[in-house]
Amino acid sequence: MKQHSQWDWEIKANTTWAGVGFKEFYSYKDLLFSLVRKEFLSSYQQTLLGPFWVLLQPLLSVITYVLVFKKVMGFSTEGLPTFLYYLTGITLWNLFSELFLDTAYTFLNNSSIYSKVYFPRLISPFSTLLLNLIRFGIQLLLLFAVLIYFWQVGQVQLNPVRLLIIIPVIITISGIALGGGLIFSILSTKYKDLLGLLQLSLRLLMFVCPIFYSLAIVPKSIQWLINVNPLSSLFELFRYAFLGKGNISWIYFSYSIVFMFMILLSGILLFNKTSDRLVDVM
Amino acid sequence: MSDIVIEARNISKLYRLGTIGSGSLRKDLQKWVQKSILKKEDPYFKTINESDKVVNKEYLWALKNVDFEIKEGEACGIIGRNGAGKSTFLKILSRIVKPTTGTVKGKGKVSSLLEVGTGFHQELTGRENIFISGHMLGMTRSEIRARFDEIVQFSGVENFLDTPVKRYSSGMYVRLAFAVAAHLEPDILIVDEVLAVGDAEFQKKCLGKMKDASSKKGRTIIFVSHNLQAISNLCSNAIWLDKGQVISKGEAKTVVNHYLGAAQKKSWKQEFSIKEAPGNHLIKVLLFELVPQLSSPLSPVDIRTPLVVKFRFYNNTDDIILAVGLHLFTLADECIFDVSHTPGTFKQGIIEGECHIPGNFLNDGSYYFSLIFVKDSSEVLYYYEESLYFEVEDYRENINWYGKWMGYVRPQFPITLSQVDSHLNRKFLT
Repeated sequence: MKQHSQWDWEIKANTTWAGVGFKEFYSYKDLLFSLVRKEFLSSYQQTLLGPFWVLLQPLLSVITYVLVFKKVMGFSTEGLPTFLYYLTGITLWNLFSELFLDTAYTFLNNSSIYSKVYFPRLISPFSTLLLNLIRFGIQLLLLFAVLIYFWQVGQVQLNPVRLLIIIPVIITISGIALGGGLIFSILSTKYKDLLGLLQLSLRLLMFVCPIFYSLAIVPKSIQWLINVNPLSSLFELFRYAFLGKGNISWIYFSYSIVFMFMILLSGILLFNKTSDRLVDVM
Repeated sequence: MSDIVIEARNISKLYRLGTIGSGSLRKDLQKWVQKSILKKEDPYFKTINESDKVVNKEYLWALKNVDFEIKEGEACGIIGRNGAGKSTFLKILSRIVKPTTGTVKGKGKVSSLLEVGTGFHQELTGRENIFISGHMLGMTRSEIRARFDEIVQFSGVENFLDTPVKRYSSGMYVRLAFAVAAHLEPDILIVDEVLAVGDAEFQKKCLGKMKDASSKKGRTIIFVSHNLQAISNLCSNAIWLDKGQVISKGEAKTVVNHYLGAAQKKSWKQEFSIKEAPGNHLIKVLLFELVPQLSSPLSPVDIRTPLVVKFRFYNNTDDIILAVGLHLFTLADECIFDVSHTPGTFKQGIIEGECHIPGNFLNDGSYYFSLIFVKDSSEVLYYYEESLYFEVEDYRENINWYGKWMGYVRPQFPITLSQVDSHLNRKFLT
């Protein structure tokens, strides 16, 4: 019969790696933006300082780290202003760790919604990505402001062309965080212990990234450990873009990019394949 | 003939019982090795298919081999007891869970309303929440903008639009949430028991809105409710699910009557041999039975039906001054009545009794009886609790209103009206 010939949608028992496809995903763009708005508005309700927390948080942590690493342990900052040096690293690190963690909590935070309404589940991690990029954008403005101050007093040089390097760096680090977060979000839905482990691992990972030190001061014998970390070259590049100093290596940067593609692709595929089944496990 | 908009074939859903996670890593690995590396069947799944009839404690078929079609513009009600698979059914149709086997094919945009206030955020204002919830339910920004005023008006919370919804009264919250949902305009609308909330007035408004959507605008509605009166009035067709299977489907009124007749026959009679009878060394309950005085054996117990409660028990004490009390409770454990009688002296042995409850007394709802045995009007010998469950169905004649009738009892005390003033002699009064 004619009426059986064309169906708009089909629900099957098996899931696909490809997910819903771009067209359907795009039709939910209004939801995507409204989720970003909701998260952004709701996180600063009933706070005195409101969105200023976005700026206060890196400032406070930089002050702490300056006390610990510079004053107590005396790490070298390659002759650059310590505050600026640390703020550069912390800003990028915050993007990575918060995006990674927020994405890893996708199912945990949304379980009540997921069990009541359908939309392509990938919308939530992408809204997390946008939200974190917005926060990062605001923090980047702070970083620029601090940079301009130190440039005015003559402690650093500014090179607008060099600054463009941050764009591929931001894309790569977001890709790694999103991909890794997606994989963790799936695994941790079933085994919640992984989230505790993840928080601990991220804290350790921070010290294996050249945030408070540069690759140059790392002893040769353990330099491989820093180099094997795909984030290291990104931090060095990011710092180079802002401050003009950093051990940049295009080989390690290519390694980071390849790593990003691999983890992001496997994260998205795995998420597509399993997210619709996880409602039964949540 | 109108087009078929949803066609489901062989839908099944298997749930694993027990805790998920602890101790399952080994099984998961084993399953993965078997399936992906050795290309064999899932070792755990296989065991169920083969020993279907054995009660498997680890798994539960929430739905099993369900087939159905729904036509365009049809309002289809889903009925069944708790745990019959109704919610699973809706969740599969809404794409929230994946079926274990089978396929559903459909045409047109689907929106589902499984909860009131999906996506609402407590901290945000009513205005923000209208947009968030609207987007979640599948409306686009321009659709919400176009209907925003209508939504606000329907909800009646105009003055609180810029207040966070956590400060709303629960009634306002529900009204706003439903207002958003009521203005969805999908081709197929899936509604779970969301109408159980809100006051009678608002429920009426919602049912009216749904009725409009189906009869005037030709929208397809799939509707789960325990309110059978609403189902038979709103829906053209119905599907009766029990233990995950379709028991009957077809015209709504036929299915509802069929369901009511069958659903009530159970647990009306409890008979025990003296060995396994509940009780203690003083009292043993041998029989506890509800006998509704039905006009025909197939008709359901409704508010008009007179009920007889019969009981028989063994009394182990000679020359005892004994009284038996009958307690009626609602499912929410509120006592409706506690009837007793003048205590009498009885010898050791079997004693029988019965109590008549007239028709047109109880309101529709779920109830249970308890029996209490008292010695010397003061000492409780035995309390046989929560034993006889039954349901009273609604019945309304010539009343075009489907909201929940208030109160636990619905007696027909006469109300007489008489005219004391008529328009004609008004001029003398003023």
